Amino acid sequence: MTDDQIPPRVRRLRSNRTGWTGPVVVAALVLGGGLLYDAVAVRTGHRARPWRAETADRLATLHLDDPVVLISAGAAVLLGVLLLVLALTPGLRRWLLLRQPGAVIDRAGVAALVTRRAEQLDGVHSAGAKVRRGRTTVTFVGRVDPADVQRELRTELARVPLAGEHRLDVRTGKGRR
Amino acid sequence: MSRSTVNRVVLGLAGALLLVGGVLVLAGGLDLYGRLGVRMPTWWPLTSPDQPVLSDASRTRWSGEAWWWPVVFAVLGLTVALALWWLFAQVRRSGPSSVTLPVGGAGVTVRLRSRALADAVETETVALPDVTRVQARLTGRPKQLLLRAAVRLAPGGDPAGAVDDFLTGPLAHARTTLGQDDLPTDLRLRVTRAPAASRAPAPRRVL
Repeated sequence: MTDDQIPPRVRRLRSNRTGWTGPVVVAALVLGGGLLYDAVAVRTGHRARPWRAETADRLATLHLDDPVVLISAGAAVLLGVLLLVLALTPGLRRWLLLRQPGAVIDRAGVAALVTRRAEQLDGVHSAGAKVRRGRTTVTFVGRVDPADVQRELRTELARVPLAGEHRLDVRTGKGRR
Repeated sequence: MSRSTVNRVVLGLAGALLLVGGVLVLAGGLDLYGRLGVRMPTWWPLTSPDQPVLSDASRTRWSGEAWWWPVVFAVLGLTVALALWWLFAQVRRSGPSSVTLPVGGAGVTVRLRSRALADAVETETVALPDVTRVQARLTGRPKQLLLRAAVRLAPGGDPAGAVDDFLTGPLAHARTTLGQDDLPTDLRLRVTRAPAASRAPAPRRVL
């Protein structure tokens, strides 16, 4: 089996995550810089700043079952999970890759194109589209054969040069009263 | 390491620290070890709900050791230095203000403002069929430029045609100008939703 027989794997976009890393880095800078400043002050014979003395004092008096400690720990767990999820997931979910390298289209745009075309068809009363990474689902209300709608929308979707396979599902929805 | 990798490592480290610290405090504070009947090894921290979060004894446990202060200064100094490096790297991200063009004879260098090149790309792109709005920027390092363009299409516009027009028109011209046939490009396409009023009127339903 040669390389060109394997369908090319469509890579995913990965967010740089700069917006989330910024606050984390600033927090690390403030915390690390403050502690470093105070450690240098103490080592060179000055007194510890009041904020560090107070913090150390509070940490030494608060017990682990204090509500303040438990709530802070719970918040730390939630924030930690959020940051880990951000570190591991690709992000940029609203963009779909196009065949041309470097070009992407937003999913809402594809949905708008398909919805507009569906609503122009004779006999279609209303339509809605949900575009996911590998599949577009169109739900329409009207007295038309879904197969005809599918054929029309397939040609509409072909105007978007999406990279990789993309399925199109057409179903009829319940009419609005 | 790419920018994305650096950022993800930072986020992962911070997240893991917060998660481990929070779980240790919660497990001790809610007395999970006692309720589950688990005996932790003696070195395990924060096992009893009656224990202070950080007692004076634990805080100063190693402060008499010879290695303690060098390690404290090294860790804190490294944290501050890396944070500053990261912040300055963000400032440099906006890209070069001007680029050198591959024209001119001996002793003559022609430089073009990056903004002027981006403006030219915008002017040419907005004249393409179906394009209603465009925003272009030249970023990256001088040796490795990146052209970013965000293009908005009118309702029902043709994405395939717009991409092809962009590649053969504005982008090809920018590449010729810069003398870089493989100038990396980020093209972000959007399609405007048709406003509800202008949609095709629904046919009357015949019962």
